[in-house]
Amino acid sequence: MASQNMDPAATAASSTAALKGSESGGSAARGSVTKRLQQELMTLMMSGDKGISAFPESDNLFKWVGTIDGAQGTVYEGLRYRLSLEFPAGYPYQAPRVKFMTPCFHPNVDDQGFICLDILKDKWSALYDVRSILLSIQSLLGEPNNESPLNTAAAELWDNQEGFKAHLHLTFQK
Amino acid sequence: MAAPVNIQTPSKTWELSLYELHRSPQEAIMDGTEVAVSPRSLHSELMCPICLDMLKNTMTTKECLHRFCSDCIVTALRSGNKECPTCRKKLVSRRSLRRDSNFDALISKIYPSRDEYEAHQRRVLERLNRMHNKEALSSSIEEGLRQQARYRSERNHRVKKPTQESDNTTFSGGEDNVDVRSHLSHDSTPHPRCQTPSEAGPSRKRPRASDDGSGAEADSGSPTPPLRRLKEGLASEIELVFRPHPQLVNSQDYNQTRYVKTTANATVDHLSKYLALRIALEDRGQEEGGKAEEREGESGGTAGGGEGSSLSNVSEKQYTIYIMTRGGQFSTLNGSLTLELVNEKYWKVRKPLELYYAPTKDQQQPQQPPEPKSPPSI
Repeated sequence: MASQNMDPAATAASSTAALKGSESGGSAARGSVTKRLQQELMTLMMSGDKGISAFPESDNLFKWVGTIDGAQGTVYEGLRYRLSLEFPAGYPYQAPRVKFMTPCFHPNVDDQGFICLDILKDKWSALYDVRSILLSIQSLLGEPNNESPLNTAAAELWDNQEGFKAHLHLTFQK
Repeated sequence: MAAPVNIQTPSKTWELSLYELHRSPQEAIMDGTEVAVSPRSLHSELMCPICLDMLKNTMTTKECLHRFCSDCIVTALRSGNKECPTCRKKLVSRRSLRRDSNFDALISKIYPSRDEYEAHQRRVLERLNRMHNKEALSSSIEEGLRQQARYRSERNHRVKKPTQESDNTTFSGGEDNVDVRSHLSHDSTPHPRCQTPSEAGPSRKRPRASDDGSGAEADSGSPTPPLRRLKEGLASEIELVFRPHPQLVNSQDYNQTRYVKTTANATVDHLSKYLALRIALEDRGQEEGGKAEEREGESGGTAGGGEGSSLSNVSEKQYTIYIMTRGGQFSTLNGSLTLELVNEKYWKVRKPLELYYAPTKDQQQPQQPPEPKSPPSI
């Protein structure tokens, strides 16, 4: 039934999508982004990583919602954070915009949820994907970079792990 | 592979890891031993880490020996840091890369039919996509239902007595709400002058026409057609699937597939004008509601001024109709051809005729459009 009702215009579009858009901005480029995101989604669903997950928010493949569980042995253990990932048309050559939706008390996360992480900025590489981003953020939780904090209060409290944990769990809101 | 042979020679400095310095080279397999490789591990070897697809026109970094599709690595170098996406080794320019035709040959040996592989990939992704894309699913169901409904109504029509007068060129659109459709047949149907309003009514709701208005219709029109004409009447309705020209029309503009049913003696020009009207109506937006069009009924070309002007400017020259020929080429259809002829000449298959449309090139919309051709014989 599907093939019978197939719209030739749509098939033409999907075959151009298969071509790789070397120029960004064209519909072909957008098609290749879609394709890569679909591939990522598939590997992510197959891999069954513990502690991270991600899925398109709605029918829009360019906006995902991910979750990160605080790693064992860190002050974040037992807490689950939701993040939003928005993919630009230049993905994977440009980094996605990643943000905490759940408020996160952390030296490198500001009160808007913005994350200071080099691989999301100048150290971005086209080889990173949703999975590696979420794993990086998960490990950032346990190992903050206190040299350049976005949240100075959190950075100052970090050395006092007991106090940090107490504050974290007291203020945590889903 | 870069063999760590001349570490001692100072001419070239190799930045080798301890492992690389101390590993012993693998023995080359010279006998007929076969080594089984799992498809999964093979896939990761043949895959471009940027697009996650199979390597295409493989390029290898000269120093760190990482492979990418040519397009992918060129784009990456252009848009990002000048380093290897895999290991961050400095890549000054394209000259830090070399074409790896051996690898391309290897891939084509393993996957002789790349198209087949890609088609398979596409199918897998489409299935995945359908799973998460509820909207796509529901729209595909909708389209399926529409198709079925069309075939059903066609069947019903066959079984029942064909009461439709076959001489009027009556378009009935398929995909819109009833509202627009009814105005549409008011405005777009090039009906003969003598036609009475009551006649235009039932012909709109074609599938059910035979239930309510058949008697009146048969009486009011031409004398009862002879049997031969009846038979012809059966065959002389044509179903069309009408789509935007995939190459000429930006899919953002009108991506609607239109289902049209009309009499076979309608010409391509009629169809074109119908389409122009249709699009003009749609452009005017739903917010106006239907009343304006209802009032301005265009009998005798007296279409009202003001808001109706956009409708009276509609001409069959605005859109060109194409059909896809066997070679996948689109050829323009002459406006004076009847759809019956088009069907016989180009289509021949027993399924709805598929046509494509696109705005006519270099066609300024004329201020005073030519009077639409009078419909085929009465």
